[in-house]
Order: sequence, then structure tokens, then C-alpha cells
Amino acid sequence: MKLLRPLVLLALATVAPFTARAAEDAAPGLAVGQPAPLRDVRMPGVDGRATAIADVAGKQGTLVIFMCQHCPWVKAWQTRIARVGKEAIQRGVGVIAINSNDIAALPEDDLDHMVAQARQLGLAFPYVMDSTSDVARAFGATHTPEAYLFDARGRLVYHGAVDDNARDEKRAKQRWLRDAVEAVAGGRAVPVAETKAMGCGIRLRAKVQG
Amino acid sequence: MLRCALLVALLLAPAGCGSRGIGGRPGPEAAARASTPAAGPGRAGPVVPIDAPGIRALVTRPGARATLVNVWASWCMPCREEFPALLRVARAHAGEGLRLVLVSADFDDQLPAVHRFLSAQGVGDTSYLQSGDVQAFIDGMDRRWSGALPATFVYDRAGRMTAFWEGAADEARFASAVEAALTSSPGREDPAP
Repeated sequence: MKLLRPLVLLALATVAPFTARAAEDAAPGLAVGQPAPLRDVRMPGVDGRATAIADVAGKQGTLVIFMCQHCPWVKAWQTRIARVGKEAIQRGVGVIAINSNDIAALPEDDLDHMVAQARQLGLAFPYVMDSTSDVARAFGATHTPEAYLFDARGRLVYHGAVDDNARDEKRAKQRWLRDAVEAVAGGRAVPVAETKAMGCGIRLRAKVQG
Repeated sequence: MLRCALLVALLLAPAGCGSRGIGGRPGPEAAARASTPAAGPGRAGPVVPIDAPGIRALVTRPGARATLVNVWASWCMPCREEFPALLRVARAHAGEGLRLVLVSADFDDQLPAVHRFLSAQGVGDTSYLQSGDVQAFIDGMDRRWSGALPATFVYDRAGRMTAFWEGAADEARFASAVEAALTSSPGREDPAP
């Protein structure tokens, strides 16, 4: 036992790097209060035009939603996303949806599928492809769907999920994104600034150096 | 020197340690609600609803020197890709007391796909289906978790988290994390499971 104790201590010391590494692994993410990064980068969209976040910025704010076509979580929420987006635009909040997935790994997320998805949903806002995944990388976006709402001054005021029940809208008790959009449109503080939901990890393209 | 010490520590640790190998055991209430697949060759075990406190209870339950919890989904490509490596590591260390807890984040109506995937992977023991409030589940597991899948959590014998990451991992990463957790939990014999 006397021999074992120092060995255990040595062994425990090896655990520390794992703990530290875990903290590094957590996505840094955009913090509340920060502006949207890469807001001037134009991305090809389902409407055949290239659109940047800055292009859609509304008088009252801007909503950026990372989504895609293949993900069941997006499919569960996409009707609500389309509706909240349409209402946001009507209230002076600009909207853009971004697909950052690597289509080499996820062919269902290519532009043709995005076009069909946008048509089916009747999206009232640009739906673009982040062809380098750099925009997702800059946001620290990790999964789809993931919403970022910026106020009239361009500061992040809400980050997270659409609501608290992807599986059944009728059973959703918290409609976080809708409430945040209404608050921003009305010039008020959002009730809840950060929420979480599960989703499909964004399959980032390899970073292009230089 | 350190490597030798770790090796000795591992050798001194009791082998077998009551590991149940792949999967854990549900409580009676959960078991009653468990979903079981149709009978067939290589069929998957029951899939039992679980929330974060339920997982907490599993990782602190005596009978294992370390526990690896992997949250996955049948439709999640990186989850599917890392699964074979995860199982190889889990099986390689099952005899040393590693407990594997597989938690599917699929929706209820995707259970057939869950069973098909587990069956194809040769997972015949009990596994789990995330249930209840999703945000509470995410934060209950770890506040650093964004909710992206897959997500992996490794605990030592006492239920202390020794590693967490989100996104897919390779075999080396699973092995390193598991070996560190096992190494941090040597010593006394485990109670019988």
C-alpha cells in the first residue's frame, strides 16, 4: 500500500492534462455583447445571389441561423425557423440562414438540396452556403440549428435554440427565439440570452491556410 | 519513470472489477419503459430512457473503475464514424473495469434505427435514450457542452469527470482518456455489481 500511494499520485497527475484539454475543447463561441464576425463575407445562396450578413442587417437587428438540410433537429424545427424568420423581417429584424457543412461529407446539404428545402419552407430570407465553413468557425457555431440574434447596434443579445421542444411544438414551454426577436424588435432586453439544444455537429471543411 | 509507474499502478489494480462490459443496468422503472427490438440474430439490447441525474447515478454506481458516456444519434454521421473505435476501446478495457454507457439522442420515432445501428455494431447490452428536458440534460452533463453530437464524458471510479469533449474522436483519444480514468482509480477491490 505504501508503494501504491505515490504511484496513485503520479497516476492522478496524468489526469490533469485531460481536464485541461477538455476545457480547451469546449467551443469558444461568440459571447453575448460581441458583434457578428465576417459580416461582410458574401456567400452563394439559394436565390442565385451572393449575400453577406451585413446585407440583410435590419433596422432593429439581425438574426443569423446556422442550419442545413440533412439534420433531423433542423427538420424538426425548420417550419418554426421559417415562421420566426418571416415575423422577424416584418418587425425590422434582418434574417439570414447559413449552411456551413462540408458537402463532400454530407452531400444532402449541397446547394440543390438547400434550394428544395427553401422552396418547401417558403423561406422569406436568404439561405446561403458558407463554402469555406469560415463563418461558422468565426462564430464558434458547433451545431445545427443554432441561432444568433444581434440587436440594432450589432451586439449579440441571444444565442441558442428555437424553443425547448424540437420534437413537439405544441409542448414547447419556452419560445426563446421568438421572444428574443420580439424584444429586439421592440428595443427591449431579451428575456433569456443563452439557451442550449442538441443538434447535428457542423461538419466544417478543412481550414484553408494562407 | 512516469510510464513505468502508471504501468505498475495498472497492474496492481484488480482486474475484472465487476465490469458489465458494454452497457449498464436500468433501474426498475426505466426498465419497465424500455424499448426492445424485434427478436433476431445479433439483436440489440433494450434501449432505456434516461436523464442526466440517471446518468449521474450510473457513473457513481459501484462496480466499475471508470465510466465512459457517449451521447450519439443514429443519424449523426460523426457519431456513426467514431462508434467502431469507441467500441474497440470499450471492449479492450472492459476487463479492467470500464463501464460503457451509450446514450442515444434520437427521437422516439427513430428507435428502430437505433436498434438497427446497435445491432449492426454488436451492442447487445442495455443502452439508453435521452429523455426529458434537453437543455437540462445538456447542462446536467456538463455546462461546457454546447449540445453538439457526438459528446463524450469520462469518469473515474468516484464519478469525477476526467475528460469531456464534443465532436468525433479517434481510437487513440478514446484510449488515452479511458486509460487515464482507469489509472486514477486503482487500488481497492470493487464491490460486486
